[in-house]
Amino acid sequence: MDVNISQLIAALPDDGGPSSTQTLTQERVHEIFADLAYRPMPLGSLHRLWTASELSAQIALAYLAYGIRQWFCDAETAEKALLETNLRVALKVFHRLGYLRGAFAKIGQTAAHMPNVLPDQVAETLDTLHSSAPPMHYLLIREVVRNEFGKDPEELFATFEREAFAAASIGQVHRATLKTGERVAVKIQYPGIARTIDADFRNIQALMLPMRLGKEWESVKAQAGEIHRMLKQEVDYRQEAESLRNAAALFQPEDGIVVPRVYPEVSGLRVLTTELLQGTHLPEYLAANPTQASRNEFGTKIDRAWWRLYLAFIGYSDPNPGNYIFLSDGRLGLLDFGCVRHFTEEERELVRLADKAAFEDPSLMPQLVQKACGIHPADPEFGAYLRIMQDTCDWMLAPHSQPGPFDFGNPSHFDKGAELFSGVVRSRHVRAHPMYVYHNRAVYGLLALLYRLGAQVDVAEVLRQERARNPA
Amino acid sequence: MRITANAKVATRQRILEVASKLFLDAGWHPTTTRGIAAEAGIATGTLFNYFATKEAVAAALIETALERAYEGLPNQPGYGDSVEGDLFSLVWSGFRSLAGFRTFLGAAAETIFSPLARQSPDSPGDAIRTTHLQWVQSIIAEHGVPKPLPAVTLQLYWTLYLGVLAYWAADESPGQEDTLALLDQALKLFVSSLGAAR
Repeated sequence: MDVNISQLIAALPDDGGPSSTQTLTQERVHEIFADLAYRPMPLGSLHRLWTASELSAQIALAYLAYGIRQWFCDAETAEKALLETNLRVALKVFHRLGYLRGAFAKIGQTAAHMPNVLPDQVAETLDTLHSSAPPMHYLLIREVVRNEFGKDPEELFATFEREAFAAASIGQVHRATLKTGERVAVKIQYPGIARTIDADFRNIQALMLPMRLGKEWESVKAQAGEIHRMLKQEVDYRQEAESLRNAAALFQPEDGIVVPRVYPEVSGLRVLTTELLQGTHLPEYLAANPTQASRNEFGTKIDRAWWRLYLAFIGYSDPNPGNYIFLSDGRLGLLDFGCVRHFTEEERELVRLADKAAFEDPSLMPQLVQKACGIHPADPEFGAYLRIMQDTCDWMLAPHSQPGPFDFGNPSHFDKGAELFSGVVRSRHVRAHPMYVYHNRAVYGLLALLYRLGAQVDVAEVLRQERARNPA
Repeated sequence: MRITANAKVATRQRILEVASKLFLDAGWHPTTTRGIAAEAGIATGTLFNYFATKEAVAAALIETALERAYEGLPNQPGYGDSVEGDLFSLVWSGFRSLAGFRTFLGAAAETIFSPLARQSPDSPGDAIRTTHLQWVQSIIAEHGVPKPLPAVTLQLYWTLYLGVLAYWAADESPGQEDTLALLDQALKLFVSSLGAAR
């Protein structure tokens, strides 16, 4: 990495004094938004790749600077410097991801929901990606709507707010009112973004080429193919509308879990109109110091929603906290169904086998490893994979094996999971059926969400009830 | 025989209609001033009283379409909210208005707006360029840059505009959504260059 002195100085964490963390954040956020306003959306393959590599270089640089400062300060100052470095890095990541918005942004969001894999400040800052990405101006929005329906938003809706109220990695959301009076959320996709995903994957494939001689190559290639497939699915709002309808049918009013209704007459490939759910997202919910009872109630609903969908072979695979909304009447809203896996028949068999091996019959574990990791028992690494599978299952099932509510707020369980996760990555035991790319992400994400919520949930009871509802 | 002003207007209009049809049906390159005159039922020499070249005929078609688009600009919802938005609206409304000419516009623009051609008040694309840049200046002034923009800045803008126009003329993406993204980026780039002037 080519680093000059001025870059190094710029990356140094501030000294203490009046420049508190809060001031730093506000100033930096302001700078970032000022800068973002003038940044073009990088559509070209090369430009996006360059930005992504620049991002890694900046992160490395910031931590390098932190390392240098460590030599010259006491422990307390060092801790503060680390906090500030984390914050700077988070802001840089935020800055770049908000800018990139395509596949790289999605990958960044996944990383952000692994507390303890990334520092807390980084994870928290990345949360805002879903609600704070820079908006498209209204006149561009209007053209996207025209392309979709041949009409302006003013003709389609009784009212349409020109300012977006939420932003996602590939689009933004506007409040509107239907001519029939319903309040709706209209999600609109940045034009041309779907094609950038192919460009991103050409880059990712190029970056992966050095791995092609390794024994994991076929599996890694299949997993990358799965991510590609899912991202392509995510940009097709017609598929998301279908997933929303399927999911909504699974919940009844007494569940206190709501999936917004789709309005098909004003929905299409790049525009999706759904019922408007009004509530708060995780950071605001937590900022209001909710009671433990409220955290537990929402935590239980999050867990129940996940199992309800999973047992219906719908993988709610984007566990971003921005996809959950906490309604003031105590209901939980599930917002985004772009990243949803519908299991194939072969995958359903695998799910059933995994379920049986984990909950009922541990002797099925070798069979599970063979099918889930595509590894033959004669392979010298079979034993290592078997151990990883066993450890992972033990970790995931720990909350189920104790009587009564499990305290997800206790960091020790999550720390253990993070250790397991990074151990797998370090040891390069990454062979797995492609469905596990999103399944693992969903499971880790769910547990991370419950951890950040600090919820105590009787997961065994939730699962028992959900299995009773859906014995299949 | 004296030709009335009304007859002149009617002949000019007839030439434009015939030329537009020929450009679309036969294509830009095969269409000649002689062919336009024959189709309009006038002598080639008479056509030259109205338009010096085929490029001048096309420029007049483009100019008329753009004027129509610009007139409607201030009535568009969201117009006036931001400099990027207004510039976007200026360009995209123009493209919409030119949509009927898209098949020959790319080829025509190569000669009408060639950056290598000598710029003079007589060149066919000059009136289009001047009017468009006046709109750009006035939009920017509305949003807080009262001083006239330097000629270099305007030339940069015009180069970006022509690049987007050329891209749009050949854009096969649905609803020309790739051009929408390109225009958005080009304008953000341009507006960022105005930062120092504000």
